[in-house]
Amino acid sequence: MYGFLIAVGVLLLLSIIWMVYRIQTLVSVVKGSDKKVASGSNKVNAIMFLLFLIGGGALMFWYSIKEFDNYNPPLASEHGAVTDQLFWITMAVTGFIFIVTHILLFWFPYKYRYQENKQAAFYPDNNKLEVIWTVVPAIVLALLVIGGWRAWSDITRPAPENAHIVELMGYQFAWEVRYPGVDNVLGANDFRLTTASNVSGVDFTDKNALDDFSSPVVVIPKGEPVLFRIRARDVLHSVFAPHMRLKMDAVPGMPTKFWFVANKTTEEMRAELNDPEFEFEIACTEICGRGHFSMKRVINVVEPAEYRKWLAEQRPYIVINPALVENLPADVKELADITISEYK
Amino acid sequence: MATAHTASHSATAHDHHEHEHHDNFITKYIFTQDHKMIGKQFLITGIFWAIIGGLLSVIFRLQLGFPDMQLEFLKPILGGWITAEGKLDPDFYLALVTMHGTIMVFFVLTAGLSGTFSNFLIPLQIGARDMASGFMNMLSYWFFFLSSVIMFVSLFIETGPAAGGWVVYPPLSALEQAIPGSGLGMTLWLIAMTCFIASSLLGGINYITTVINLRTKGMSFSRLPLTIWAFFLTAVIGLLSFPVLFSAALLLVFDRSFGTSFYLSDIYIGGEPLPNTGGSPVLYQHLFWFLGHPEVYIVLLPALGITSEIIATNSRKPIFGYKAMVISMLGITILSFIVWAHHMFVSGMNPFLGSIFMFLTLIIAIPSAVKVFNYLTTLWRGNLIFTPGMLFSIGLVSFFISGGLTGIFLGNSAIDIQLHDTYFVVAHFHLVMGSASFFGLMAGVYHWFPKMFGRMMDARLGYVHFWLTFIGVYMVFFPMHYIGIAGFPRRYYTWTNFEFSNMYTDLNMFVSAAAIVTFAAQLIFLFNFFYSMYRGRVASLNPWRSNTLEWTTPLHPGHGNWPGEIPAVYRWPYDYSKPGAPEDFIPQTVPLSATPESNLPHEQELVKLEKAIIADEETLLVANESKAS
Amino acid sequence: MEEKFAFVENAEQPIAMHPKKFALWLFIVTVVMIFASMTSAYIVRQSEGNWLEFDLPEIFWYTTGVIILSSVTLHWSYLSAKKDELGNLKTGMIITTVLGLTFLVGQWYSWVALVDRDVFFVGNPAGSFLYVFTGLHALHLISGVIFLIIVLISSFKYEVHSKSMDRMEMLVTYWHFLGGLWIYLFMFLLLNH
Ligand code: HEM
Ligand SMILES: [Cu+2]
Ligand SMILES: [Cu+2]
Repeated sequence: MYGFLIAVGVLLLLSIIWMVYRIQTLVSVVKGSDKKVASGSNKVNAIMFLLFLIGGGALMFWYSIKEFDNYNPPLASEHGAVTDQLFWITMAVTGFIFIVTHILLFWFPYKYRYQENKQAAFYPDNNKLEVIWTVVPAIVLALLVIGGWRAWSDITRPAPENAHIVELMGYQFAWEVRYPGVDNVLGANDFRLTTASNVSGVDFTDKNALDDFSSPVVVIPKGEPVLFRIRARDVLHSVFAPHMRLKMDAVPGMPTKFWFVANKTTEEMRAELNDPEFEFEIACTEICGRGHFSMKRVINVVEPAEYRKWLAEQRPYIVINPALVENLPADVKELADITISEYK
Repeated sequence: MATAHTASHSATAHDHHEHEHHDNFITKYIFTQDHKMIGKQFLITGIFWAIIGGLLSVIFRLQLGFPDMQLEFLKPILGGWITAEGKLDPDFYLALVTMHGTIMVFFVLTAGLSGTFSNFLIPLQIGARDMASGFMNMLSYWFFFLSSVIMFVSLFIETGPAAGGWVVYPPLSALEQAIPGSGLGMTLWLIAMTCFIASSLLGGINYITTVINLRTKGMSFSRLPLTIWAFFLTAVIGLLSFPVLFSAALLLVFDRSFGTSFYLSDIYIGGEPLPNTGGSPVLYQHLFWFLGHPEVYIVLLPALGITSEIIATNSRKPIFGYKAMVISMLGITILSFIVWAHHMFVSGMNPFLGSIFMFLTLIIAIPSAVKVFNYLTTLWRGNLIFTPGMLFSIGLVSFFISGGLTGIFLGNSAIDIQLHDTYFVVAHFHLVMGSASFFGLMAGVYHWFPKMFGRMMDARLGYVHFWLTFIGVYMVFFPMHYIGIAGFPRRYYTWTNFEFSNMYTDLNMFVSAAAIVTFAAQLIFLFNFFYSMYRGRVASLNPWRSNTLEWTTPLHPGHGNWPGEIPAVYRWPYDYSKPGAPEDFIPQTVPLSATPESNLPHEQELVKLEKAIIADEETLLVANESKAS
Repeated sequence: MEEKFAFVENAEQPIAMHPKKFALWLFIVTVVMIFASMTSAYIVRQSEGNWLEFDLPEIFWYTTGVIILSSVTLHWSYLSAKKDELGNLKTGMIITTVLGLTFLVGQWYSWVALVDRDVFFVGNPAGSFLYVFTGLHALHLISGVIFLIIVLISSFKYEVHSKSMDRMEMLVTYWHFLGGLWIYLFMFLLLNH
């Protein structure tokens, strides 16, 4: 209802303003001031620019400083420290340019507003100036981009051998989390094998799949590299972990990946933010349909020891649901049965 | 001399038929071939779409700003899309976003801006009777109209319009099972866009041909107003990029309707695996963005051209660095084709490509920076007259700076990891592309209204409109930067599911309220526009005391623009406040030999050359006269 | 500023090209862009692997011959028209039209040949692309044949002669372009299939 009321109020206000202006126009026609090159409004507009500069600038500074902790999401990954730093360096550079150019842009209208007895300068060009403001931005931008390029190369280089693998598969509308189990090798998968009890389409004839397990929460160790293997089974999705500064599309038919090192446990973050409810989250950032806004998973970052303990407690797909391996060829079935019995 | 003589005095001598046009209502207002009327048709259709596009955004801003609001009152319009609880249906939310984007980018800021001003201004400013082909020009409008009708109809069908985002990435846009909008709605979207492409190409071919072939005497490329340069380069970009969108769409059609696998692979949906294998969704993204990035410049360049012209006129100063302006537009034109993959840093494409596109993107920021500095220097030591057109032009420069600077963040792939597909991107492109181009459109309407309709728009209403809109736009889009830095993803129906994004309800409410006020402020414009069309003060011939050719036509130019010969051009269009000149402007039609007091040294030498031109002119006049008698 | 504005192109008409011919060239540019994007898409997709290998139908060699021949005969009619040898013009136009239609029939048989070797429109993109290339090209060629027929008719009405060559010139440009386009596509496929 708010919106509607506001709209009506505004409309009323506008119509009043309009009437006032209409009357003024008539008056100005009577007075003949509409024949002049620039009317008295010229000065009003010039002053408005100054006011806008001061008012808008003040509002921006006030809000940016007051809300800093709010809009600046907590950080918990190693590469995130680098990209955040790049972000703030870029912010400093562009912020400076933003402020300087806007001061000029809004101050000139005031300073050089029309005056009948004045003449504008005939100043069609100046090669030196133009070279300067081509070259200087080029250098500044190059510096910024080189920093970005080094960070990017670092982030996208192949994951270390010892990275813990977690598979995230997007589907309408959730993420399926699969761990490779003790062997740290994900079993093969095939979308044609997908069923209600085999959401990831795991191919259990691959013996690497026998110890794969699923988890409702993404649990990862602090301080050790983690490799997300990302795929999708219906439409595009995108893994977004804001606190890890991590994002990568999930593409049907084309597995993708992203590796990183989390450097704070969930507990540490809770203590730091003084917020016992805090969770690291994963969201979807590629439009994928009706439930796009609801594809949430929690990342639980724990100490490495705790992680190993947790790993040991997990039970593979085939242990939870032995029906999955019922119709397998004899040799794999045998292996599967051994695995199942080990967990009994 | 017949007022209506369509052929220009060009190589097409055999087309030279002089006959009166006896226009009836249909040929004058509907199936017209007069570029001026076609321009107005584009403008009116564009305004219609802007209202629709704006209304759609108001609806989804209501959802975002006031998530608990009862939207029952929209039921009469939206029907089944309002759920039993009085909420917006999430599928429909996505459809709204998609349609808003499509309408704004293509129908308002491409057709409404380029279509209007390229058509209206090219012949008038280069001194031509009409476009190279009036018929193709008419077709261009009617393809656009057809496209509009189809897109409009798609808003009302049972399963809703397309809902996969304005980029319509497959597989979402290819599979009906994935979202209802990908059924009939998407089919209509594709048909409408095909018509739209045809319209753009017909228009673009015409603009380019006209600019190259039909310039009046003396109108060399170095004397073209920057508006024409901008329209010309825009048309070149469109000509090279729209066919690629056609290819992308065609393959999508095959995937949707014939079962091919260009973009589809390994899909399990609706409880069954699909037979498609071997397709690549990323391929679509490459094809789409090969159009998509140039498209942002198709939208922006005309606005920049319009602004250059208006700022120079109302600063009473030559545009600073004419040549640099042209070169930077040329640079942007070329570079816009080699940066597309900066929209795909985290799409899963090879990260090495990401590095390359990061460097290329950096380069395109440079010509943009040059343009900004040149605008600033043009204002410096000017004698500024704040007409509404001028205000909107200054507003454009401000948006161009604000939005352009955030591009530097997004073009840096390392920083883009976090910002991609968040509200930061929304803020960025709404400022640099949406608002900047919209302000260019508005500036153009205020400035050329007297030429279009022979009357003035009310300046004071224009001021109010400007200040409400300018402040409003910043109130809407500036806060989105904070929301984006906080990580709020775009195209979300609600953010309350996540801890990291369940704050800022107040800020979102503020944004939505500001959006509604800004939208309402456009009513002032609408009133001013339609009221002034009939009741505005009658304009003088050259109300802004401008140099360009269109102001040498009669108040209501007929089909053919100039009653007599087309005037020849003797100087560039920016001789404002030339030292020594009695007036602070010298129109392009004034020969250098007539202004010895203000000529620069090198211009004195050109006077001789010019004498030859004038002699030519005269023989032609004599020849024509004898032919007429 | 000085030197820059010193070069005043003097006041002759900019460039003296018939606007319609110029527009035709621009149209050709758009067609080039369509095929350039399609063939790039082909390469991008091919580099991702999972690509069906098969031999191109031999009939492409014959249709290529036919279309080259048709360009030759059209050019002959064009030269005849320029010299006002209207009999030759008509003969040439008829032969060209027949060759154009032959090419289309040949392309149809190439599809038949593809189906024979189990390459279908629906299936691996390697095959789908081939159908799209040939199909799109054939569509443009049909427009070319229609243009041919229009000019053919007007040549029978003696409307094409040395003083009235505009349409003929545009036809020649377009037809040579379509021929060249096919040769490009064929080469491309030979090198990249
Ligand atoms: C000057 C005129 C510009 C226009 C009209 C423009 C327009 C746009 C638009 C519409 C988007 C949104 C794409 C989407 O749907 O996600 C976008 C995103 C982007 N823009 Fe710009 N932009 C401009 C300038 C720049 C500049 C100067 C840069 C870089 C230096 C830049 C870099 C980017 C990047 C990298 C993205 C993708 C961000 C992402 O997807 O996360 N843009 N731009
Ligand atoms: Cu999603
Ligand atoms: Cu882009």
